[in-house]
Amino acid sequence: MELDASDKEGILRDLLLVRTFEEYVLDVYQDRGIRELPHSSLGQEAVGVGACVPTREEDILVPSLRTRAVMLLRAPMKEIVAGMYGTESGPSAGRTTEHHMGSSEYGILGTTGMVGSHLNASAGAALGSEVLGDDRVTVSFLGDGATQRGEFHTALNFATVKQLPVVFVIENNHWTEAKPIEDLVAVDDLTDLAGHGLPTQIVDGQDVIEVANATSTAVDRARNGDGPTLIEAKTYRYRPHAETMPEERDKAELEEWKRRDPVNIFSERLVDDDVVDDEWIERTTEELRERAEEAFQFAEDDDLPDEEELYHVYKDTDIDHEKGVVR
Amino acid sequence: MSADAPAETLTVRESINQALREEMRRDERVFLYGEDVAEYGGLYKISDGLLDEFGEDRVFDTPLAETSLGGTAVGSALVGARPVVEIMYADFLPIASDHLINYAAKMYFNYGDETSVPLVVRAMYGTGDGHGLHHGQSPEAWFMNIPGLKIVMPSTPRDYKGLLKAAVRDDDPVVFLENKMQYDLDGPVPEEEYTVPLCESEVKRAGSDVTVVAIGGMVNTALEAAENLSEQGIECEVVDPRTVSPLDTEPILESVEKTNVLVVAQEAPTFGGFGSEVAAQVIDDAFFYLDAPVKRVGAPFTPIPFAENLEEIYFQTADDIESAVIDAIET
Repeated sequence: MELDASDKEGILRDLLLVRTFEEYVLDVYQDRGIRELPHSSLGQEAVGVGACVPTREEDILVPSLRTRAVMLLRAPMKEIVAGMYGTESGPSAGRTTEHHMGSSEYGILGTTGMVGSHLNASAGAALGSEVLGDDRVTVSFLGDGATQRGEFHTALNFATVKQLPVVFVIENNHWTEAKPIEDLVAVDDLTDLAGHGLPTQIVDGQDVIEVANATSTAVDRARNGDGPTLIEAKTYRYRPHAETMPEERDKAELEEWKRRDPVNIFSERLVDDDVVDDEWIERTTEELRERAEEAFQFAEDDDLPDEEELYHVYKDTDIDHEKGVVR
Repeated sequence: MSADAPAETLTVRESINQALREEMRRDERVFLYGEDVAEYGGLYKISDGLLDEFGEDRVFDTPLAETSLGGTAVGSALVGARPVVEIMYADFLPIASDHLINYAAKMYFNYGDETSVPLVVRAMYGTGDGHGLHHGQSPEAWFMNIPGLKIVMPSTPRDYKGLLKAAVRDDDPVVFLENKMQYDLDGPVPEEEYTVPLCESEVKRAGSDVTVVAIGGMVNTALEAAENLSEQGIECEVVDPRTVSPLDTEPILESVEKTNVLVVAQEAPTFGGFGSEVAAQVIDDAFFYLDAPVKRVGAPFTPIPFAENLEEIYFQTADDIESAVIDAIET
């Protein structure tokens, strides 16, 4: 896709936004804890950021547990952090975790704690666009773990048979919780698990532009009525699955991936191309870190939700929540 | 709707078909899909003719994957469409139940901006046709313990139509259970436009001696039992909750306060079932009105058997309800 200098600067800013935010999360978590257990996206920022580049504001994004970029690019940071703390200014006033938040206003489809269950829901969001006759595209992210679920196959088959406007982006970070992906699937490329008659593409998930280009082609295809695409972005997470899990992966493997750090790759490229300079990067990082600090301060000062927030179960029927019957 | 409004005689099958047709005409966001619902018109011909009227964009067949049916219904409902999805046999609901239990039921709670999941899942249950273990189970209790779901089990053609129309218009996810043994049951259905509100129990037969709370297909069985008992001088009041969850208990409590005797009836196994919850609610709120132990009519705690004689043992009839009523009165 065509990107001018200001687009590229914006993309680098988004990468730095996710990077500084995720680093700040770890700092706070290690210092004083956070109610929502961090599942860090450090190392795989370019997938979420890159795939969002060709999307329009009205398009529907469906993050996986680890696609923090989608949250940060769509929702206010203070609301996100309040969501991590379960305070009243969170996305659902503390009823749910930030991990699974959904918002029609921000175009984020809500998800659940069931890995992969959002894939058929994503196909459904695209089906909804077809029925409603709008031209929104749904971009749905999944981890490598989700490709092992039946949901992956039923969703891809359904979306392909119905030629739905949806793009599936696998963030293959090569580890399903504490297990290497090669122990769990018998293919080298996760796209080989698909074969549902839909186009697939493998990209370097450390290169934000490569991700953006592949997604752009896929989004155009979806918007033009030519159906779904499956993209596999090969990447790596720098942290364990969750922060409570001890790191037991091979250090050499981690160091090798860090040599191809997605934020460094793109910032070096833009410095070489004179789009930004080191001072801009430093200043931007500092500003973003201050934003994160403010957001965490806001959430830490925020009140816990009132009890009445709990009683938000049926939209159309007033019930006695203690008895579980109609009032 | 007035009681003397002009009515036509329709079967349950026809009333469901009319409800779908009218709601799809009324609201372009409503669409129907599932396995063999379009070209074939549904396994039991419920959706016959709808493909012809609405076209394949709004009435279509799907791959055999209930996870896709459940998941896509949730996703499309979350973005503003109003899906009606058929899961065929209710026994297949567990395949879609991750989406019903963990997704549909919880997104209104999960979202902060009043977004809800206005989907309807239609599925059929009903015993007595030799379909065996996996094609007739009555699944209401599987889902009753899930806050966020609405479970509807109509009993008459009028209610099937009115409740389905209301379910389509409702903003919460509805599991709409159809008794496949009663698709040919006929009865009066108003010719004028109407809906039957969800979450409102109805007294289907007034009586002063015993309250019988029955759901789904068992309502008609209970009415049959009530007629037989009337000949013996026992007048049953039959209450049909229609929406199993969230339950409107008020008419049940009022009835028990009048009759002082409660019998509950369902097709599913008695243990852990709907009737047990009704009994508990009545004991909570009307215990001192009860003159007798609550009697529960339901299946034994076994799967639905295949052999004809075993199925007869499993399936509860008017005789069983009559015995329960007499047992309760004689205690």
